[in-house]
Amino acid sequence: MTDHDTAAALGDATRPVKGAPIIEMEGVTKRFGDFEALKDIDMVVGTQEVVVVIGPSGSGKSTLIRCINRLEEHDEGRIVVDGTELTDDIRNIAEVRRETGMVFQQFNLFPHLSVLDNITLAPRKVRKVPRREAEAQGRELLELVRIPEQADKYPGQLSGGQQQRVAIARALAMRPKVLLFDEPTSALDPEMINEVLDTIKDLAREGRTMIVVTHEMGFAREVADRVVFMADGRIVEVGPPEHFFTDPQEARTKAFLAQIL
Amino acid sequence: MTAALVPRGLQARSAKRWLRRNLFRNPADGIVTVVSSVVVGAVLYRTVRFVLVTGRWEIIEVNQRLLMVGRYPEVHLPRISVSLAVGALVAGLVAGVVHARQVQAGTSAVAHLSVTARVADLLERFWPVLVGAALLLGLSSTTGPWLTAGAAVLAGLAGRLVGARLPTLVHPVIVVAAVVTPFALVAYLADAAGWDSWGGMMLNVYLAIASIILCFPLGVLAALGRRSTLPAVRWISTGYIELFRGAPLFVLLLMANVALGFFVPAGSAPGKVVRAIVVFTLFTGAYMAEIVRGGLQSLPKGQSEAARALGLSPTKVTVFIVLPQALRNVIPAQVGQLISLFKDTTLAGAAMGLFELHTISRAVTAQGAFSGQQLHAEALAFVGLLFWIGSYTMARESQRLEHRLGVGER
Repeated sequence: MTDHDTAAALGDATRPVKGAPIIEMEGVTKRFGDFEALKDIDMVVGTQEVVVVIGPSGSGKSTLIRCINRLEEHDEGRIVVDGTELTDDIRNIAEVRRETGMVFQQFNLFPHLSVLDNITLAPRKVRKVPRREAEAQGRELLELVRIPEQADKYPGQLSGGQQQRVAIARALAMRPKVLLFDEPTSALDPEMINEVLDTIKDLAREGRTMIVVTHEMGFAREVADRVVFMADGRIVEVGPPEHFFTDPQEARTKAFLAQIL
Repeated sequence: MTAALVPRGLQARSAKRWLRRNLFRNPADGIVTVVSSVVVGAVLYRTVRFVLVTGRWEIIEVNQRLLMVGRYPEVHLPRISVSLAVGALVAGLVAGVVHARQVQAGTSAVAHLSVTARVADLLERFWPVLVGAALLLGLSSTTGPWLTAGAAVLAGLAGRLVGARLPTLVHPVIVVAAVVTPFALVAYLADAAGWDSWGGMMLNVYLAIASIILCFPLGVLAALGRRSTLPAVRWISTGYIELFRGAPLFVLLLMANVALGFFVPAGSAPGKVVRAIVVFTLFTGAYMAEIVRGGLQSLPKGQSEAARALGLSPTKVTVFIVLPQALRNVIPAQVGQLISLFKDTTLAGAAMGLFELHTISRAVTAQGAFSGQQLHAEALAFVGLLFWIGSYTMARESQRLEHRLGVGER
């Protein structure tokens, strides 16, 4: 309890540094059996804000963003995304998923579909965009992630870095208001990490709202508006990167940073 | 390959070395080689002698019509010829359309080959069927089979040539025709002589095809049902699967034959062929369901998560993401099950008194001129060969399909 109180005093996770609130989490708790993965999380993200979530493994970072598009169902508290509250109502869940794009650690591209079909499937089947239009948009997105020449290949024929960039294009194809990145570079070979981080940086500069779970501290320092440090299912410390990395307040934050930097 | 470049003496030496390396590496290897050669030689000798010398194949020759179509009335035999020709025509059209579309999409595996190479490819694919057809024609004493085969080949070729040149607009028509034709042909054949007078190979093929078409969707639905979040659906699916997997097929067929009378009023009970199809469908459907469930479970969770995260509804996730991959991954097991079904159609004879190929082969050895002559080996070898041709072709075509769909190479 004291942990939580001090965290709130140190930097309030519910105060975005820019934009009107678009993601609001209030008292969110998530359990897996007896294990509490998230404990009473309060957090607000503003439009065009880039929030980077860091923390040791098992701290609840991934669970946090997976609750935002309901890949995990929270047990207590409220989550509101762009004015829609996540409840059992499947219409709300569908609405929120249309407005949020997600990029996974393991890419999760559809191996039986070509790169272009991976990108156009959701716009065509969910938003009912005509094929021609969806494909034109898909090719533009491949331009954006700098692999237009791979449109007709299959995911298995691409390198990890290319696959992850296709996954980013796929997430963008639904024109989401929020992008969620779940350790997007953790499964990549070292030489491919930068190409993916550069793509994400481009998106951050465009002013997209995003939450990025990552272990890449240099990246966090460069693009984050706020850094959120989690441990044991709680938000321990929040702050702009310049303060967070140079002058951490909490003992746990200091210990974590000392380990990885 | 390089033999021509190697001097003669060396060649002899390398042949010797090959023998030594592959067959006589050590004394144990040598013994295995010698013993197995003797066994294989003896089996081959006896087989060839049976086929060419001692076998009395006139039993097949005389009874060919019975073995192929059972007691289907002689006056209506032209209907069978017409059906085969129409079937070949539609199959040819479909093959032509598929080829045209593959060429258009740049995915054809044979488009770049010469005509000779493509014919060679077809021969390689279907040689057992051709050998079987040649055998049947060779053993036939009437002109009917020849006319039928000729018409079917011509119709198939014509369909293939026309199909490849049809405008894209007409393609949906061909698809509809391909779906409707089997039903139309069955109605056409059954119109002349009710199903219960069908027999021979024709009946086995019919039972197998009808059951395959029906059991596939049933299996997929039951597999999905077993994983449903709705308890009622889950219980019904699980109950169905476990019930039919747990019972011997033979017993189920007997029950359909005998016990159905207890449940259904006498007049309204369907004919035996329909009952057999229902049993084969339910039985194989239960096995298909478990195979498909295996395929569903083999998919990484990330696939459906990614699809849901994109906003696809549960149905769309299943239709566009989960099923295509799950079904593709279990093609070998599915086809294995369907081959089983094809062969198990012989049980319908013993259990239900249907005059399918195997039952007729038993009957002809006991009938008229052949009674008491113990020609079971000839009859059974013939039946076995026909089933082998069907099963082997199915297996080969499934391998081809796997290869095309890239199973095992993501």
